[in-house]
Amino acid sequence: MPAKRNQKQRRRQIRAQNELIRWCKRKGSPCQHGDSRAVKTMRRSTPYPCLPEDIWHHIHSQMPMRDAARAACLSRTFLQSWRSHPNLILNKDTIGLNASACGGNFSRKVDHIMRNHSGIGVKIFRLEYLGVVGFDASRYLDSWLQVVVKPGIEELTLVLCKTKREYNFPCSLLSDGIQNSIRYLRLDWCALRPTAELGPLQSLTSLRLRSVSIRGEELQCLLSNSPALEQLRISSCTEIVCLKIPCSLQKLSNLTVIGCDSLKVLENKAPNLSSFFVSGCSNLRILENKTPNLSSFFCRGVGAKLSLGETLKMKKLGMGRANAVHYARAELPSIMPNLETLNIRSGPEVQQRSMEHESVFAKSSGLRQIPENRHDSLKTVKISGFCSAKSLVELTCYILKNVVSLESLTLDTIHGDCRCYLKTSPFCNHIEEDILMEAPRALSAIRRYIEKIVPTTVKLTVLEPCSRCHAKGLQRISC
Amino acid sequence: MAAAAAEATTDGGGKMIILISADGKRFEVTEAVASQSQLISNMIEDDCTENGVRLPNVDGDILTMVVDYCNMHAGDAAAAGDTMKASSTEEELKKFDAELVQALENPVLFKLILAANFLNIKSLLDMTCQRVADMMSGKTPEQMRETFSIENDFTPEEEAAIRQENAWAFDD
Repeated sequence: MPAKRNQKQRRRQIRAQNELIRWCKRKGSPCQHGDSRAVKTMRRSTPYPCLPEDIWHHIHSQMPMRDAARAACLSRTFLQSWRSHPNLILNKDTIGLNASACGGNFSRKVDHIMRNHSGIGVKIFRLEYLGVVGFDASRYLDSWLQVVVKPGIEELTLVLCKTKREYNFPCSLLSDGIQNSIRYLRLDWCALRPTAELGPLQSLTSLRLRSVSIRGEELQCLLSNSPALEQLRISSCTEIVCLKIPCSLQKLSNLTVIGCDSLKVLENKAPNLSSFFVSGCSNLRILENKTPNLSSFFCRGVGAKLSLGETLKMKKLGMGRANAVHYARAELPSIMPNLETLNIRSGPEVQQRSMEHESVFAKSSGLRQIPENRHDSLKTVKISGFCSAKSLVELTCYILKNVVSLESLTLDTIHGDCRCYLKTSPFCNHIEEDILMEAPRALSAIRRYIEKIVPTTVKLTVLEPCSRCHAKGLQRISC
Repeated sequence: MAAAAAEATTDGGGKMIILISADGKRFEVTEAVASQSQLISNMIEDDCTENGVRLPNVDGDILTMVVDYCNMHAGDAAAAGDTMKASSTEEELKKFDAELVQALENPVLFKLILAANFLNIKSLLDMTCQRVADMMSGKTPEQMRETFSIENDFTPEEEAAIRQENAWAFDD
């Protein structure tokens, strides 16, 4: 071992000395740096040191697409550098098309660039058909991907658009040589059919699929071959019925599943998941998570039976599901002692249209007590769609009495994040009249039951309908 | 290996190293600061920094900037061992970096790039190259050549052909 180390050390010393000697010799002629040609500079009064070719190549690679293409006209070095531009980010903005440009025009320009590219050294290939509908680019795509998907590629993003004929992503590309380099894969609007022949993608850390035709078992095949995966985002992939995240994904920390309408079972066994977001999967019936490190969980528009297992580390919880209020009332007190942020969006259970819960103003009312349990971590609570349902008022009272650490409570009597008066958007969300009608009752419940028990240490924010955007609805109600 | 680890712990980056510029200016910096240069880091590992490190291709004024940069960014590298030094926030560092390159004349910026390349300080090289890339963006080829004194080695016919090939990048 010592002999080996000495050898290594000696080699390094010689290398460092040689480097210095080379530089001493070259003093006064820095253009000859390295073995590569340098870009010649024009004679002028202020002497310009010459940058070696590889540095110009580095600078060129950091320029936006259009500027980089113009720079190809500068000199032979730049032309060569452009032919192997490593970051091909192709969308309407980078190519410089106006908003009315159609997919065909965009594709012809991209095709022009791709035909002149050597295919060497591409690290990022990001193709985005943004704001384009119905353009079928499949006749180009195979040849473009042949050019760029080679060993060394790190990011592959294909944002296609909805078309009659779906592009079938050639999975064979994922097997040939790029297995050790690809880190980020994002596909929108295509079909992906990986088979058992797919080899392991050793470096893949982020996978995003949107509106992709892929079945549950095909996705599982891809997942079981992605041991380094850290982030997984699946949205509007409507062929998936059952999604099981295997425990072999040791590094998976972020999981997002949105709008997968056919999904019935979602089960996670990845042990280190810390953030889990599920939204708008209306058929999801079973949602299981068996990972103790979960610190952030958000679930909206899902009526599934929840099984979250150990949740001791949970810090952020967001719920907007059919029985969120029931769940929060029943479970919150005991299972999440370290929770810091809670966002609840009341579902149909307490809404006016199908009010399953009695209003606090009903004759038989009297608030029931939820078993007391101190919380000293929870700081921020927001309840959206707050109404006069007894269960919501009880939950709010429970929070105010038991959460000693509470700093901020927001009660939003309507739905939606767009509010002109909070400057989150120029206009407020449209609100149905029945919700507007309930708002005054919600406000009076807040005045009667809640305001008086808010401790001085808690900032209470009550969000009301907007006097400008919701004025017409409010007028009709008052008539 | 064990000996090297012990040395690093006891020194805590406190051992000083002398850097000597082409014009003989001497800069005393800690090992932790100097180690941001991969070249010097290798020399430290090989114990060949005893009599100071001569940098015959880096002028004193450029080395001053490099040392300032390394001092400012030492917190990143030494964060694990010395939490006090890590106190420069990301915003402060960004501001410092922007100010460092913004005021430079282009030939000086090029010299700084060459120094960062020779000393192998990746973050400084990236930052200075990005500055040049930003300055080239939005310009015509003629303006780019003028700004950075780049010689055109195409024949007029060749240049016309390449402009034609990249005509899409010249549309408004």
